[in-house]
Amino acid sequence: MNVELADLTRRFGRTRAVDAVSLRAGPGVFGLLGPNGAGKTSLLRMMATVLTPTSGRMRLLGRDPGAFPQRREIRRRLGYLPQNLGYYPGFTVFEFVEYFALLKEMPPGQVSRAVAAAVERVGLGDRARAKLRTLSGGMLRRAGIAQAIVNDPELLLLDEPTAGLDPEQRVAFRALLREVGQRAAVVVSTHLVEDVGAVCAEVALMDAGRIVFHGTPAELTARGEDSGAAGDAPLERGYSAVLSASRTAAVARS
Amino acid sequence: MTAALDAPVRPAPVAPIRSASLSFLRLLRIELRRSPVVLILPLIAALFWYDSYRASMTQQPLWMLRTFWNMGQAHTIIDFGPFVAGMAAWIGSRDGRRRTTDLVTAAVRPRWTVALVSWAATAIWAVAAYLAFVGVLFGVYAAEGVRGEPPWWWVAVGVTAVVAFSAAGFAVGTFFPSRFAAPLAAFGGFLAMVMSAQTGFKNPSGWALILPTNSQGNYEQQDTGIFYPYLPDLPIARILFLAGILAACLGLLGLPARAGGRWLRRTAALVTLAGVATTATAVVLVGTAQVDLRGVVIPALHDAANDRPIAYTPVCGPAAQTQVCLNPAYGRYLTDVTTALAPALAEVSGLPGAPQRVTQIAATDTGGPAAMAISGSPPVLLFGLGAEASLPGSNGFQDGTTTTKDFEGILRVQFAQAFLGAGTAGDTPAQQAVEAALLQRAGTTLADQPRLEEIARLGPGPKLSATGPVYDAAKRLAAMAGTAWHAWLAANLTALRSGALTLEQLP
Repeated sequence: MNVELADLTRRFGRTRAVDAVSLRAGPGVFGLLGPNGAGKTSLLRMMATVLTPTSGRMRLLGRDPGAFPQRREIRRRLGYLPQNLGYYPGFTVFEFVEYFALLKEMPPGQVSRAVAAAVERVGLGDRARAKLRTLSGGMLRRAGIAQAIVNDPELLLLDEPTAGLDPEQRVAFRALLREVGQRAAVVVSTHLVEDVGAVCAEVALMDAGRIVFHGTPAELTARGEDSGAAGDAPLERGYSAVLSASRTAAVARS
Repeated sequence: MTAALDAPVRPAPVAPIRSASLSFLRLLRIELRRSPVVLILPLIAALFWYDSYRASMTQQPLWMLRTFWNMGQAHTIIDFGPFVAGMAAWIGSRDGRRRTTDLVTAAVRPRWTVALVSWAATAIWAVAAYLAFVGVLFGVYAAEGVRGEPPWWWVAVGVTAVVAFSAAGFAVGTFFPSRFAAPLAAFGGFLAMVMSAQTGFKNPSGWALILPTNSQGNYEQQDTGIFYPYLPDLPIARILFLAGILAACLGLLGLPARAGGRWLRRTAALVTLAGVATTATAVVLVGTAQVDLRGVVIPALHDAANDRPIAYTPVCGPAAQTQVCLNPAYGRYLTDVTTALAPALAEVSGLPGAPQRVTQIAATDTGGPAAMAISGSPPVLLFGLGAEASLPGSNGFQDGTTTTKDFEGILRVQFAQAFLGAGTAGDTPAQQAVEAALLQRAGTTLADQPRLEEIARLGPGPKLSATGPVYDAAKRLAAMAGTAWHAWLAANLTALRSGALTLEQLP
């Protein structure tokens, strides 16, 4: 298993952003769905080793991120695209990706080729020498994806990766995810259910910090059948039905 | 995106240790190429030109004087410091402002080392600019034939100060990552230097000597870099002080938990402690400083080799058949000196105690910047020109211009006092009258003398005017025939010098 989470919890003051989440994921594309504020970003940040869990256990790529040497080994094999991608406006696309390749301690002799390949894979080959400040939002997002995949990660964490991408780019991006997912565990956090339906083999749905559904997209779709839940597509109706049921149960518990 | 077209490059998972330095160099290259420090260099250049370059060019062509303002009073540091601190804070706050903290944290390299690379690029640009600007400044001086020795130790202090400012600013930006970090760091740097300078004015000795813009210290000593080397004691102490601040600031960056692993943070703590200890040591050392005419001597740092005078071959010329020799650094003033002394020496030629030779010595060895004394057998007139405001020509924005006529008059006044009286103070009325007569006969009118005496004293003295019984007697003496004057002097010189002669006893 590339990702093993057990009772993982993260509190911010009194708020439980992530509440006793348990998950296992191997190679393939794993979709993390949920409404805004569900805790997806906090969960991804913990998996990216930038946020420490309040409690629970986490093993990534068979290692314990709580131990510094193992955390370094995880990070060496990690690709991460944050929800709010920060960037250095004065850097070119190539420099930006190269910079993070070097921070990931890639062998210097391989960096240039890896950067060029990553930039090409996200379709920014012709803009490699362009300063980041000159790029559109979608292009910036692709530059962010390039830095995430430059080290050919074994664990790729993508937080809202398709935000700002046009339909053509989203199609290409899904192809990229499928291809990366053949070798690595890819966790995609999104609130766009069509992305999940298109590429994910497994999906988890979060609400209020908890996992309220874990299964295949087909199983999620099935939850929406004959439920009368809102949604234009079958998967959307499944999403709505699960959320609705979860919230009803929560009210009943309280 | 072309997922199906390109096979991914799968690098080896672990970078070999020997490749780490290559990676750092590549990171540094990116940081250097994209450093925003370049953007403020024109602004610093303009300030540097206005404050450090322009002001110095009105000084006499001696290294000590040319660099007194920009190095001795540390204006090059003032020109650079706030801008470097501000820009370093801007770069230090980059990840916070640009929301790249998560990306950098999720990478393998410890954040401390990443931060050090960013800082290093900032410091390299700042130091390169400092050295380039100072290099141009010194190049212009050298092209003009400025004499003496360049103050290399003070350049080293400037470089260390620039690096320390960059580290302090970077630390401010890292710990307070907002858009206000840069102006705050710049203002803080400026304030620190103003306070340092003000504290320096009030404290010519003791701990305050360590402050980098304290203008007190051995740089101010007369003839430094001409007769004697610049004493490196105070520069070394200041370099230690600034290097300590630098180390402490860089160490602080590695203390937070997110900065790296346990060993790295321990190292950072040690670096911080070493920095604090170095700074404290420098302050303690400077507290033991002894300030004398030769400069600031710090016993623990002092090298006796620096007390030895710089060897030189004097430049000489005749003045009324008397050989006048100067340090070659003052060679351009030889004609002015011989022209000044020739008529006065002619007036006293053959009299007891008349100098057979005139030799310039270090102003520090005369006990003052421009004092004269006659000693030895045969008598030798020893005098210091000193790097002072009495030299002919422009003497900087503070002191204005000294005319050649005034310079000659000042030298004659000093000669008359040395030959006939007790020096610059304490002459009896009879001595004053004979001095005034000698000067009048040598070409310096009685009307000019009070003003020149005031300059020769190099400080405010009693208001003088060419009136009263002293000048009445002087007029009578000046009107005497040459042979009579000479004969009277020969007969009365001993009594006059001892102070036994009164005004009434003068002819």
